[in-house]
Amino acid sequence: MTSLDIKGLVVNRSGIPIVRGIDLSARGGEISVVLGSNGAGKTTTLEGISGIIPAAGEVLLDGENIAGANAGTRARRGLRHVEQGRTVFAEMTVEENLAVALHPSANLDEAYALFPELVQRRGVNAGMLSGGEQQMLVIARALVGRPKVVLIDEMSSGLAPVIVSRLMSAVRTLADDGMAVVLVEQFATLALAIGNRAYVLRRGEIVYDGGCQALVRDPARLHALYLGEAGQAA
Amino acid sequence: MNSLLASAVAGLSAGGAYAILGVCAVFTYRLVAVVNFTGAAIGAAGTFVMVTLYESGYPLAIGVPAGIAAGALVATWIGIVMTTWFAGASASTKAAVTAALLVGIIAVGLRLTGGQHPHSFPELVTGSAFRFAGVEVTRASLLTLAIAVVFTLVTEQFLARTRTGLQLRALSLRPMAAELIGIRVRLLALCVWAVVGAVTSFALMVIAPLRSPDFMSLSLLVVPALAAALIGAFTSFRAALIGGLMIGIIEGVASGLDTFSQYRGAIPFLVILAVLLWSQRGARWDEAR
Repeated sequence: MTSLDIKGLVVNRSGIPIVRGIDLSARGGEISVVLGSNGAGKTTTLEGISGIIPAAGEVLLDGENIAGANAGTRARRGLRHVEQGRTVFAEMTVEENLAVALHPSANLDEAYALFPELVQRRGVNAGMLSGGEQQMLVIARALVGRPKVVLIDEMSSGLAPVIVSRLMSAVRTLADDGMAVVLVEQFATLALAIGNRAYVLRRGEIVYDGGCQALVRDPARLHALYLGEAGQAA
Repeated sequence: MNSLLASAVAGLSAGGAYAILGVCAVFTYRLVAVVNFTGAAIGAAGTFVMVTLYESGYPLAIGVPAGIAAGALVATWIGIVMTTWFAGASASTKAAVTAALLVGIIAVGLRLTGGQHPHSFPELVTGSAFRFAGVEVTRASLLTLAIAVVFTLVTEQFLARTRTGLQLRALSLRPMAAELIGIRVRLLALCVWAVVGAVTSFALMVIAPLRSPDFMSLSLLVVPALAAALIGAFTSFRAALIGGLMIGIIEGVASGLDTFSQYRGAIPFLVILAVLLWSQRGARWDEAR
């Protein structure tokens, strides 16, 4: 089974420590949800894991430490990062966006099965899609690369709740198909509803590491973890 | 009238070279996001490697491929500099770096090639291809024109129809997103630089015998090249192709007119000025309103 284990991840920006030695893991078939308020270090954590920015610590993909590899090599090893901001290739069609990321053993039908909405839009430039469609496209683009692990950053940002629900359902499908998913999300309730394991970050440190359902059942605790009134590791 | 036509046809050869260099400038900008001031200097380096070998007694069959390879190597070296230290820099910073590199390459090139001492440039193609309206069209003109057209069309088809072309387009649109889907961004960027170096070297080898045969003059062909690229707004290969040809033809016509012949070197600058003013017209009109 696929596994991603992060040990002692430290990430600085402009010399300022943003992520301070966190441990995190994800398993195939599961969704690890990373929560936290603005500025907690969620996006920086994903960028450190995927190699966008330099980081200290271990990034173990199926037991192999890939921390020394650049972002492209990590991606080719099976670690895909879906950045926030819907990073479609705007002047390429939907089909071209998918084809450029296509793994030899994958096919475009898998993407269209996950998001049938994209079938009718396959010949349209990605820059002309709605925000929701663009988010579907970048998730589908990650899917057709046959990743072992997908890191998804703030996919709900700026989208209508009905679209967010649709995306959450698709992410759950990816995990059910065997991928390990690390999901950074502002909409805690929706993310916890599909997640298996939750991490809450505050000021670059993990203040909760445990099951999602425990937080779903205890919203007051989640609130406290966000605000720092009752930080603790489960 | 016939003499004007002859001058215009004579300008075709230079126009073909400007078109190739202009298309290469668009190629570099679109695919690796660099306004490249070194394009012609890279070609000059390749050309002088060929000339040096030729003057040393080597046949063109060795000199030409060696020159093309040398141009590709110099361009790859510039690509390594750009991708290693300036990958995340702004477009203006990258342009400034290539301008600085241009100065460096010219300085080294002049030193190694004996300053502005002229060399004996062999003509890769000689003779007349055919006569048009009483004007002789040389094979060199036809060859540069053919290279320009073929390079433009092949580039367009390559980018539209091949997987590597798709990857290059993705790289040009969002380098980081391209890297995050596993595209070998640096390798592709270096390939782009190498292709530019090889093509510009060959183009300059063809037209060098028709120009001032010194390193500085060939390197400064970057001016008409950028004027052609500007006509294509650094995005359209075909517009850059047509722009380059037009500049060459206008230069040719100007050289046939006594009043303007001494100022024909200024034509690319006038083109750049005109295009920049034209591109700003919307902002000026908005301001006026």
